[in-house]
Amino acid sequence: MRIASIDTAALAVGLRVGMPLADARAQVGELAVVPHDPVLDQDWLDRLAQGCARYSPLVALDAPDGLILDIAGAEHLYGGEADLVADVERRLARLGLNLRHALGPTADAARALARYQTRPAPDEGQAIRRLPVAALELEAEATTALVRAGLKTIGDLASRPMANIAARFGADAAMALRRLLGDAPSPLDPRIALPPVVAERRFAEPLGSTAHATKVLAELVGEAIGDLAERGKGGRHFRATFFRSDGLARSIAIETGHPTRDTGLVMRLFAERMDSLADPLDPGFGFDMIRLAVPRLEALGATQLKLEGGAVRAANEGAAMDELADRLATRLGRGRVRRLRPADTHIPEQAQLELPAADAPLPLAWPAPEEGEPPTRPFHLFDPPQPIEVIAEVPDGPPHQFRWRRQAHAVRRYEGPERIAAEWWRRRDNGGLTRDYYRVEDAQGRRFWLFRHGLYDEKPNPRWYIHGVFA
Amino acid sequence: MKEEPEAGFAELVAATNYSFLRGASHAIDMVAEAIRLGMPGIGIADRNSVAGVVRALTGLRKLGEKAAEKGIELPPLKIVVGARLVFDDGTPDIIAYPTTRHGWGRLTRMLTIGNRRTEKGDCVMKFKNLLIHCEDMLLIAMATEKDEFLLRRLARRAPGGLWLGATMPHGGADRRRLSRLQTLADRIGIPLLATNDALYATREQRPLHDVVTCIREGTNLNDAGGLLRANGERHLKSPQEMHRLFRSCPEAVDESIRILDRIAFSLRDLVYEYPHEPVPEGWEPQSWLEHMVRDAANKLHPNEIPQRWQEVLDEELTLIRKCNFACYFLTVHDIVKFARTQDPPILCQGRGSAANSLVCYLLEITSIDPIANNLLFTRFLSEERREPPDIDVDFEHERREEVMQYIYRRYTRRRAGIAATVIHYRPRSAVREVGKALGLSEDVTQRLADTTWGSWGSEMPIERFIEAGLDPELDDIARLQWIVAQLLTFPRHLSQHVGGYVLTEDRLDETVPIHNAAMEDRTFIEWDKDDIDELKLMKVDVLALGMLTCIRKCFDLMRVHDLGDHDLKSVPPEDPVVYDMLCTGDSIGVFQVESRAQINMLPRLRPREFYDLVIQVAIVRPGPIEGDMVHPYLKRRNGEEAVDYPSPSSPHDPQELYNLLHRTFGVPLFQEQAMKLAIVAAEFTADEANGLRRAMATFRNVGTIDQYEEKMIGGMTRRGYERSFAERCYNQIKGFGSYGFPESHAQSFAKLVYVSSWLKCHHPAVFACGILNSQPMGFYAPAQLVRDARDHGVEVREVDVNASHWDNSLEPRDDGSLALRLGFRQVDGFREEWANEIVKARSTPFASVEELARRANLPSRALRLLAEADACRSMGLERRPALWDARRVRQGVLPLFGAAETDELGAEEDAQLPPTPMVEHVLTDYQTTRLSLKGHPMAFLRRDFEREGVLSAAGVAAAKNGAIVRTAGVVLIRQRPGKGNAIFVTLEDEGGVVNILLWARHFERYRRAVMASRLMLAEGEVQRSKEGVIHLMATRIVDRTAMLDTLGSDRRFEPDVCRADEVKYPQLPRGYAAKHGHPRDVRILPKSRDFH
Repeated sequence: MRIASIDTAALAVGLRVGMPLADARAQVGELAVVPHDPVLDQDWLDRLAQGCARYSPLVALDAPDGLILDIAGAEHLYGGEADLVADVERRLARLGLNLRHALGPTADAARALARYQTRPAPDEGQAIRRLPVAALELEAEATTALVRAGLKTIGDLASRPMANIAARFGADAAMALRRLLGDAPSPLDPRIALPPVVAERRFAEPLGSTAHATKVLAELVGEAIGDLAERGKGGRHFRATFFRSDGLARSIAIETGHPTRDTGLVMRLFAERMDSLADPLDPGFGFDMIRLAVPRLEALGATQLKLEGGAVRAANEGAAMDELADRLATRLGRGRVRRLRPADTHIPEQAQLELPAADAPLPLAWPAPEEGEPPTRPFHLFDPPQPIEVIAEVPDGPPHQFRWRRQAHAVRRYEGPERIAAEWWRRRDNGGLTRDYYRVEDAQGRRFWLFRHGLYDEKPNPRWYIHGVFA
Repeated sequence: MKEEPEAGFAELVAATNYSFLRGASHAIDMVAEAIRLGMPGIGIADRNSVAGVVRALTGLRKLGEKAAEKGIELPPLKIVVGARLVFDDGTPDIIAYPTTRHGWGRLTRMLTIGNRRTEKGDCVMKFKNLLIHCEDMLLIAMATEKDEFLLRRLARRAPGGLWLGATMPHGGADRRRLSRLQTLADRIGIPLLATNDALYATREQRPLHDVVTCIREGTNLNDAGGLLRANGERHLKSPQEMHRLFRSCPEAVDESIRILDRIAFSLRDLVYEYPHEPVPEGWEPQSWLEHMVRDAANKLHPNEIPQRWQEVLDEELTLIRKCNFACYFLTVHDIVKFARTQDPPILCQGRGSAANSLVCYLLEITSIDPIANNLLFTRFLSEERREPPDIDVDFEHERREEVMQYIYRRYTRRRAGIAATVIHYRPRSAVREVGKALGLSEDVTQRLADTTWGSWGSEMPIERFIEAGLDPELDDIARLQWIVAQLLTFPRHLSQHVGGYVLTEDRLDETVPIHNAAMEDRTFIEWDKDDIDELKLMKVDVLALGMLTCIRKCFDLMRVHDLGDHDLKSVPPEDPVVYDMLCTGDSIGVFQVESRAQINMLPRLRPREFYDLVIQVAIVRPGPIEGDMVHPYLKRRNGEEAVDYPSPSSPHDPQELYNLLHRTFGVPLFQEQAMKLAIVAAEFTADEANGLRRAMATFRNVGTIDQYEEKMIGGMTRRGYERSFAERCYNQIKGFGSYGFPESHAQSFAKLVYVSSWLKCHHPAVFACGILNSQPMGFYAPAQLVRDARDHGVEVREVDVNASHWDNSLEPRDDGSLALRLGFRQVDGFREEWANEIVKARSTPFASVEELARRANLPSRALRLLAEADACRSMGLERRPALWDARRVRQGVLPLFGAAETDELGAEEDAQLPPTPMVEHVLTDYQTTRLSLKGHPMAFLRRDFEREGVLSAAGVAAAKNGAIVRTAGVVLIRQRPGKGNAIFVTLEDEGGVVNILLWARHFERYRRAVMASRLMLAEGEVQRSKEGVIHLMATRIVDRTAMLDTLGSDRRFEPDVCRADEVKYPQLPRGYAAKHGHPRDVRILPKSRDFH
């Protein structure tokens, strides 16, 4: 695991982005760590962008951590550029954000200045010419080559014939340079759609009813799924955003356990979600735009369609179960619907795990019992195992009789021992007690799973436990 | 059934750690545990291999010796050896034990077939091979019911020789499994054999076994799950325990004894025949050898062979006849003859103890006259030892492959194979792999690996963990250390030995399995040097020596430039100018005496004749140093101490010690002297003396030397020497360990020291060119070699597209002397074929990058490398414009206009690139060619350092003795010689070098700075010896590498450290080379270096 992002305090003690977490922990004892969630980050950036709509209608996302605002003609509302910037700084500071900003004649110039400027300059033009060539964001190899040639700033480059540069670094490099210098247009793409698949619809006349909006959403899902099919992908995460004409927006997201291209399923999940919203979707003065984004894609092969339309049901029985799990999870919460998965370990009580059903299944099958062999594990395991009193042969003989819940059981048949040693690597002393398991049958034909906790040479008087019952 | 308390059991399915990543115990531990448990025998069978079985025999011998020292006699243990055959066609594992020599040959042939069928390190076995080869073998099948058909076939093929192996793995259903196996065995009519299928000696090795399982499967303990065993039961179990476990089937346990009794074969029975060299009709090998030797002697002494020669020749030839070694000498002679008759001849020279032999000298295998030098034949060969002789021959390192392929051609792959080298885990690899298995991040283990001094040590002390910022109290880290410590002693895989051949008269694959090597056209056998010694097989060492390549190239250059036609013999001897040069410690590049310690010794020893060089080579060694012989020798040599030779009481010769030791002023410096001292003064027999030498080599492990102590001291006092003198002699010999040189070896090497010194002294340009063209070799990086050449007045010219060749070359200067022109080979990443294209197309000078690209048909990568290396100056282009132009040349454009010789790209406006600052030039030079003729990076930092009061190298050299100063420079070499009490660091700046000495107690404090610095600042006291050698005794080290990043260039300055640097190029710790050396490094580094 590596560090995706750090705060200034972490920077000060020497941590760096990209550093392995283990190293960071070794360096700094008390380290507050939050798992990186790009989807959340993007949502956050999106919300910031929504908030910045107050300064300008033209807001573009510069993922993962930038916003570009076209403030031409809007700055006077705040009393000029400086005051506008001050306002932005004040508001973002309140959110606990550090801001690095720059104003530029074009979107690309502003962006480059904000990200690369290191030296002050008397004016914008100078500032751009003093930017390092890295601001062109060419391939690392090309950037190095420029520096090696002694061309270290945009200004160095700008004073050379453009044809020379194009001949060596390609037309893209020349174009990037011209855009930065303002010689070529650098169009602003408002709220750049970062999700790989997006479908949206704008309405001249705001939609007043939620039902109508849902219908539009269904159409958008259909479009998006067409797009997905073309890419050979399925969606795992769908997000619908309803923009109200008064400027507010509301997003609703669903997740599926498997990549899907099933419009019906997606719409059912959206319906579930909307039904279960604590505060329902309110069109207010009407929605003027609805957008469906699919931020998370996974590969999904093409499937045969039925003649009359719609996908053929997958042959595996699990499909219906998966769908049910998705619906329950959407309604009840991701963590609430769980499923047992096999875990690859010798320790019996850890051989199954309870995981959220929505998570992809582990690539593991349940161990198949050997043919003709009796089951070696009971149906029911006691958690924790219950202590019993036993009379048994030393060192590894089976119990002759044992007492459990104040009742004596005489052992008639047995099999064992099945010796399971401790997972030494999880223990401080690299040891741990070995268990000897016996499957035993008492006089009444009841079958139990007993074990002795510890070998005689590990522990003087090892204790016995019953771990489960077979029948 | 009644249990017999006396009933025995022998484990017959036991693997060692030569079942790589499966077995978790050394063979010796398995053997020791078997003895402890009271087994009458043990069967060692590794996975498709017999690589580890000799270790079991060696282990048993060593355990016996150790016990004997304590006066204990071990109960007898019969070791039977075989292999566990693991098939890839679904056949269950079958353990095969040969019962006769014939059966052993069948087994090794079968394994060879499996090995040769596949890539290196793998063995693909098929059931049908077993059916074909299973004569004279007992087989144990680890099978189940589903294999019944196969078992029946096998039982028919090997009647009475097949067992069904049964284990009690504690899997829950053991008894049911056993009864089913019993039924199965009865049905087929074969006996059941109780075994524990042991993978390790005791239960304690389970964690280690789990870890190696994870390494094998490429997973970690947390994820491994079912890949690991549920329990740790696969250790050796006592006969009592096996009887208890198999109480329902006691006859299965008894079978183990029956099998043991039926195997008559022991590896010690391997009869081995050396290849019969073809000799002319009518001659026997022995008589042919004698004929050749006497012929050569007659040529040297046309009138009459001197008396002494006659005696020695008779002695040697008699012994050779007695031991039947004639073929061996003829074989080595044949190989040497092959090398010498090549066109051009391959330089070669025998080294080591063979130079003690007059026969070897006369056969021109060695170049030292043993009579003139009074060498000791018994050091090489003796009758009682009955050990095969060991002749090592060095060849030019670049052309050794020709010799090796000749041997394969001559003897075929059936009869010739290279010995194996066992590659052991090294701290770095062990930490990395164990860390991964424990689930630690690679970065943690990488960091740990980075602070390891050398990667050859066999331990990973806790300090290294603390060093790396890891808390050894943490469970994971403690566990890492615990497992790594165990794994460090383990073999990792087999590789081929550098050049040790085993040759046989009959099929080699009926003696030992043969593998494909990773290198094409190579095959090697499964046993390494120790195994071969243990079994007394003979081998020929075909070694590579870089200095021979260098010398040959120098001779070639001299011939081309009309400087004379020379070979090793014709170099004028005893030239005083050469010795003058060496006396000043001016020996960079010279064979053997170029290391820091040797350079310091030269002005103190002041060699004036050839024999002084022999001593110079031998004295800077751990043996003489630890035996405290260096100072007495120097003092006596310089007349500061009287030389006295104690005499024995009459009637013994009072001059006996004088005769023995007068050449070394009474101080024994060579192994032969130690042995002769024992023979002459303490009346040892030659073989006892040799036993003493071997004991010296191993006394750290086995205390056999003590038995010689009494013999030696007792013997000397009996003959009238004073006891104190006898004890001093004994202690000196003891200090030798195995790290002293035999004199014969020192003589051979001294020869090369002289020749290379002569070249360096009289033809510095030729020498520099030859050594640069022979890289990698020696101690120094090209930058130091070039610097040294310039210091000696050689003009060095830069790489240039209009002048350079692939190799470095010599150009005549106006004044008639030669200048060194750097070749394209100095440009990192440049290819030889590009260089050849350039030279081919260079009929007229290239005028532009574009023209160069077109005429020499170079890809853009080549152009960029040339431009970056600033090799276009003759076209009027310095680095930046050249690069600018190189970038413009497009690839893959059809040469539509090429024929018209027009400039495809058309004229272009000049880009007017800013001129390159000098600092960038220098740094880029270092980056592309690892050296700069324009300057040194330190020059650009000089002003900053001066402001801080940091002295330059010249400043240190001028400082007063005892002054406390600070200096800084680029790190060239870090060494930790001998016992490791002191660390030597050499720093370089624009004016010279400073030698830093840091005591170990300071080192621990500054370890990171010492290990990690590229630019180092050192503070300490200047110490000036009376010979003028200057050291800085450092008390503080600071890593100033960050300064390099302030030079104002994006070029990273990573100078080449010398190959003698032990951090970057870990060296073999002493005694390591013999056992663990990695072929790659051994090939590059001279085998014997100071302190090792």
